[in-house]
Amino acid sequence: MKHHLILLMAAKLMIPPILLFALYVQFHGDYGPGGGFQAGVIFASAFILYGLVFGLDELRRVAPLSAVTKLMAAGWGLYIGVGYAGVATGGMFLDYGRLSSDPIAGQHTGIFLVELGVGMAVASTMLAIYQCFAAHQSRELTDDEW
Amino acid sequence: MLAAGVISVLGAMVLALVRLFLGPSTYDRVLAVNMFGTKVILLIAIFGFLTGRPDFLDIALAYAMINFISTIAILKFAGYYKITEPMTRPPASSTIPARRPG
Repeated sequence: MKHHLILLMAAKLMIPPILLFALYVQFHGDYGPGGGFQAGVIFASAFILYGLVFGLDELRRVAPLSAVTKLMAAGWGLYIGVGYAGVATGGMFLDYGRLSSDPIAGQHTGIFLVELGVGMAVASTMLAIYQCFAAHQSRELTDDEW
Repeated sequence: MLAAGVISVLGAMVLALVRLFLGPSTYDRVLAVNMFGTKVILLIAIFGFLTGRPDFLDIALAYAMINFISTIAILKFAGYYKITEPMTRPPASSTIPARRPG
């Protein structure tokens, strides 16, 4: 019998819907409230819940800091890459309309990729902040230090 | 009808705030904060339908998830004092006395 069994089961049940909701916010951002930043934060909050319940070591096993920082850079690179793709095709920075022969389809592709980059960068940055922040406190606080 | 719902939810939020400020123990306050978050979710949902924008339900869902996680974080901080420890086992430092009420 494990400690806090109900909380463990509730967290296990909650994490997949949170991830799914983050993806919904990510891909529905064109039509409703949402977008890359919000989706990234919600996506990271699922991992933070996992880290809270199962401990920092388990979170480091699932989302190691080395992979998280690479994803951070990959999201930034995706954004910059889409931005300069507009420049490379003779337009301006983040000129999505030129990504396809049809300007409307090009704008859809461009905003999708840019939001994906923002989401990746934000989610991994939040995870990195949580991991560094959680690992920072190494000694116990006494009652007077609160 | 929806306006009456908004008013009653606002009244319940005031009651939750009263418990938050008066609450004798830490756990009363945590419970009050959690209940206040639930009331905020209801308020967002009712307000969305009142103004004819069902998009607000997405915001309410996000708020529900963040509220759940933040409550667990506060309770873990109160019970374990450490954020790194897994909750699959009881707190290692059980010698820490329970905090004074208030």
